[in-house]
Amino acid sequence: MFGDGVARGADVESLWRRDQGTRCEAKSCQTEEISTVEVAVQSHSSRDAGMQTDQSEESIQDLDLQKEAPVDYAGLLSFLQGVEDVVIKELNKNWISHAFDGFEVNWVDQNETVSCLHNLSYPEAQDQKLQVTSISWNATGSVVACSYGRLDDGDWSTEKSYVCTWNLDRRGLNPKCPDLVVDVPSSVMCLAFHPSQPSLIIGGLYSGEVLIWDTSRIEDPLIWRTGMTDDTHTDPVYQVDWLQDSKHSHHFQILSVSTDGKILVWQTERDGQLTLVEGFALVAQQIPRSMKLKKRTRGETAVGVTSLSFSHFDPSVFIIGMEGGYSLKCSTAVETAAVPRTGSSVPLKAPAQFAFSPHGGPVYCVSCSPFHRNLFLSGGTDGHVHLHSMLQAQPLISLQLSKKYLFSVRWSPVRPLVFAAATGEGEVQLFDFGKSSQKPAVSIKQASAQTPVYCIEFNIKQPQLLAAGDASGLLKIWQLSSDFIQQGPREMNHLEQLANEVTD
Amino acid sequence: MPLPLKGTCNGMLLTCSALVTAWAEVEETLKRIQAHKGVIGTIVVNAEGIPIRTTLDNSTTVQYAGLLHQLTMKARSTVRDIDPQNDLTFLRIRSKKHEIMVAPDKEYLLIVIQNPCE
Repeated sequence: MFGDGVARGADVESLWRRDQGTRCEAKSCQTEEISTVEVAVQSHSSRDAGMQTDQSEESIQDLDLQKEAPVDYAGLLSFLQGVEDVVIKELNKNWISHAFDGFEVNWVDQNETVSCLHNLSYPEAQDQKLQVTSISWNATGSVVACSYGRLDDGDWSTEKSYVCTWNLDRRGLNPKCPDLVVDVPSSVMCLAFHPSQPSLIIGGLYSGEVLIWDTSRIEDPLIWRTGMTDDTHTDPVYQVDWLQDSKHSHHFQILSVSTDGKILVWQTERDGQLTLVEGFALVAQQIPRSMKLKKRTRGETAVGVTSLSFSHFDPSVFIIGMEGGYSLKCSTAVETAAVPRTGSSVPLKAPAQFAFSPHGGPVYCVSCSPFHRNLFLSGGTDGHVHLHSMLQAQPLISLQLSKKYLFSVRWSPVRPLVFAAATGEGEVQLFDFGKSSQKPAVSIKQASAQTPVYCIEFNIKQPQLLAAGDASGLLKIWQLSSDFIQQGPREMNHLEQLANEVTD
Repeated sequence: MPLPLKGTCNGMLLTCSALVTAWAEVEETLKRIQAHKGVIGTIVVNAEGIPIRTTLDNSTTVQYAGLLHQLTMKARSTVRDIDPQNDLTFLRIRSKKHEIMVAPDKEYLLIVIQNPCE
């Protein structure tokens, strides 16, 4: 019945692929080309910058006459025609009137005598027997600084010295204890306070360096120095000063004068260094000679400069006093180069334009008058003071004030006819051309006859004060009497007359 | 040219020349005063204290004008306070160095500074 059998399986072909295939389409896809662009990005670099307004002078209101409301000329004319006669009559009457001759009014208490206000000293400097070499008043007139050193010593001493300041307006003023003492490694020969910033002061050293201190910094007042480079002076620096830059009125340069014959102008740099900007050199053969001077000097020797004074009326003109006894009129606006000498990074110019007749010894001080553009004084070791006009070589007046040396001469800042001189006999002599042209008006005895007075300075802000430093290390502040403070009514005319006595 | 325009043209020209004459005469008068012996400066100030003519520099002029205008007003009120029928005619200030003369008016002030050098 049943038998084994093998049945073939049933095959069903798959159709789905074919169906799939009929429903499918061939497609291809591809990504598009990726577009790239090169871009660079950089972070900013920034720098701190400071802005400051310029130090302005007195604010001047702008007066613009053109933009004013239109002036009614007819009305103005009628007004002027009405008053003209009256005014002219009064002007004429005034010119010939003697009503006010000799009429003087005293608004302030008159002080008849000269008295010593303070005796300032620094005990350590006095122990070392140092002398006062230079004095300077600061811009506000309340601080006086003095430097100690030696003026009679010819050696290259490495003795250290001091610069001391006292604030005279402070209540707790101790005459034996200065407010600030700066130790200096060498003798300081000259000082100069900044004309508008009350705390900056320059000092010129015996070693030829020039240093600037800031008295408001207690820890380390030294802020700029020249260092000992090839440009530095090789001889003691006898005078330093601040020079106002003609282009930027708040910018100042530093001037130094030394007996190596060079007058150098320095500029302050950021790293505390003073760099040389400009310079003048005096060489014997380049000194102009007028016909009356017969001295002949050897050609290229440098001539030592001991003092310098700028004219108050023309900032490019200055007078220098030299070791040879000559005073020279010089200008900063010269173009002639000095005879080349080695070792200077900036070309030096020869500034001399005119030579005046010499003193009988080195000139220690020159001072230009603040009231007349042509007058200046020079004093030297022959004990004479010469009043010169810049227009002629011979002095207008020559006075013998001392039998010893004259160390310093200064014009008074308020009275055109008065000047003060520091003598080797320990006296400060105040001379008034209006009173007598032969003998001093007042002679102040500062010290004994063996101690010369080395330096004097008037206080410009408080004109009754005169500071004088002598060889015993004492700095005395004198209060002058009232007639040295107030200008008389006809002083300027008298000064003009003196200046016009120029012969030939 | 139409007549009215010509007429105004002429009118304008006349005013112009009158103006120039007035201005020239003002300058002449001030020059005469300035030329007198010892005169340092001359300033004309208007009723508000603003200088309109001067021979000195700007800053000095502004200073003189402001200060003297105030002083003149004060002087005038002083005179009139004492006697209301009276009035200020002239003001002179004598100082050590020079003399300042002020001629006042309703609309203007003339300031002359002289150095009476005897």
